[in-house]
Amino acid sequence: MQTPIIRTEKLIKQFGGNRAVNGVSLDVASGTLHSIIGPNGAGKTTLFNLLTKDFPPTSGRIILYGEDITREPPHAVARRGVGRSYQITSVFQNMTLAQNVWVALYRRERQGFLNFWRHADLDASLREEATEILSRVRLDERTDRLASELSYGDQRLLEIAVTLATKPRVLLLDEPTAGLSHEETESVSRLIAALKGRYSILMIEHKMDVVMGVSDRVSVMHFGSMIAEGTPEEVARDPEVRKAYLGS
Amino acid sequence: MNPKTPRRDLLLRTALLAAIAAVSPLLMPTKIAAEILICAIFACATNLLIGYGGLFTFGQAAFYGLGGYAAGFLMARFGLPWPVPLVAGLLMGAVSSAIIGAFCIRRTGIYFIMMTFAFNQMIYYLAYTFRNITGGEDGLVGIKRPPFGLPGMKPLNLDNPTYFYIFVAAIFLVSVLALFRIVESPFGRVLVATRENPRRVASLGYSVSRVQLVAFMISGAFTGLAGALYAMLYWIMPIDAVHWLSSGYVVFTVLIGGTSNMFGPIIGAGIFIWLQGFFSTLWARWPLLFGAFVVIVVLFVQGGVIELFRRLAGLLGGRERAGAS
Repeated sequence: MQTPIIRTEKLIKQFGGNRAVNGVSLDVASGTLHSIIGPNGAGKTTLFNLLTKDFPPTSGRIILYGEDITREPPHAVARRGVGRSYQITSVFQNMTLAQNVWVALYRRERQGFLNFWRHADLDASLREEATEILSRVRLDERTDRLASELSYGDQRLLEIAVTLATKPRVLLLDEPTAGLSHEETESVSRLIAALKGRYSILMIEHKMDVVMGVSDRVSVMHFGSMIAEGTPEEVARDPEVRKAYLGS
Repeated sequence: MNPKTPRRDLLLRTALLAAIAAVSPLLMPTKIAAEILICAIFACATNLLIGYGGLFTFGQAAFYGLGGYAAGFLMARFGLPWPVPLVAGLLMGAVSSAIIGAFCIRRTGIYFIMMTFAFNQMIYYLAYTFRNITGGEDGLVGIKRPPFGLPGMKPLNLDNPTYFYIFVAAIFLVSVLALFRIVESPFGRVLVATRENPRRVASLGYSVSRVQLVAFMISGAFTGLAGALYAMLYWIMPIDAVHWLSSGYVVFTVLIGGTSNMFGPIIGAGIFIWLQGFFSTLWARWPLLFGAFVVIVVLFVQGGVIELFRRLAGLLGGRERAGAS
């Protein structure tokens, strides 16, 4: 088998007396869309926070394309090509759409931030690329608007655009449709379907219809542990999953 | 954005700053006008951290004081050419803020503020203790302004108030233009992003602590430079300048003027020094007036006095410009 793009080995995160992530071993195969489902409080977002090193794990290992990243700081993990979108929208509210994308592009294309003299907007190639990336999520008509002026759904699209601008090797999407209306969910789902195959994607999602249609593999998390993994059909049939997650 | 806009902004900005520097001494004694410009450099440097970095430092006086002592010590003891004390103040500010900043940025929110405050107090008591260098409570006295000269030019005596004012105004112009450019540079934009959402900036591959540390150093360098000029202004470096009250005043100055661009702190410096310069001679309790001013601005003009100018410009048909970036 190919080296998995992300592998975790017996990952544990302890918060006081609560073990939010309890010995999770997970393999995400390259090029696939792998979803993690589970009830609220199952530890899904905490698992993501461990993968991006927002928190250090209590024990266990995280391996990215065969390399151990368990001890690396968050920005180093990002530089290895892990792009993430957050559950709570994380755009730069008081910056324009183009500037939001620019921050991601600049890191990737120009290396470092120690340029003090050039005006940031004078780099024509970055400007064009920002517009191109925004056009992928159909926000290129509003490049000079502030992010705070966008609707919640459009902010989520912007956030995904910013993540794509880092040219990630693997995308971590944390509930990309959380809090969205029906139409907005549709448009984000279409975007995810379009991204599938071009990126390796690990996605946390609550809405079953979003997950089942698009995922190659589904893992089910419950009380910090993985209780099942398989194709969407296998998982949907699993009696334990039905008991834990679907409540039937 | 139109690629010509930065050029037009630069011209406009240079003209405005030059006009401020040229008109101020007509409205008030040159000594007070010079103090406003020095305070404006200090406030603009502080605004890099507060307004652009979202780092609410209450310890800037440490760098101001250290810069002033470094420059003042050299000017009091040795007759060195004019760039030496200025560079000494600038370097002292940069190095001390790198060391202190490296500790402070490890914490956020109230703990960050407390750290900057604690370091400021430590520096104050060091200045108090090492009186053979700093003069302790009496201040560092005997400072001599070096003559100003350039190659192929007859040296000017900076003890002449007009020459000294022009000297300060030139450094003010260069410093503030540099700070304006820095906040528009790639570095400045990344710094604004760390203010908006530090976690997101890290997830895009930047080391947030490194960005913040560089911001601290730049701010400290210009603060130290302002301190060096202050040591020249009254031929004395008083210990009050390094007291944390001075850190508090500069934060007020920035907030009164407004943090959204570098003109805000300049306006704030004008108001602060003017109130101090005029009312302190009429009324010993003048900080009461200053306090009332802070309350009024914070309650009614959120975003500082600069916000009034913006609204005015908006009314006059100029399109409001977006963001603080």
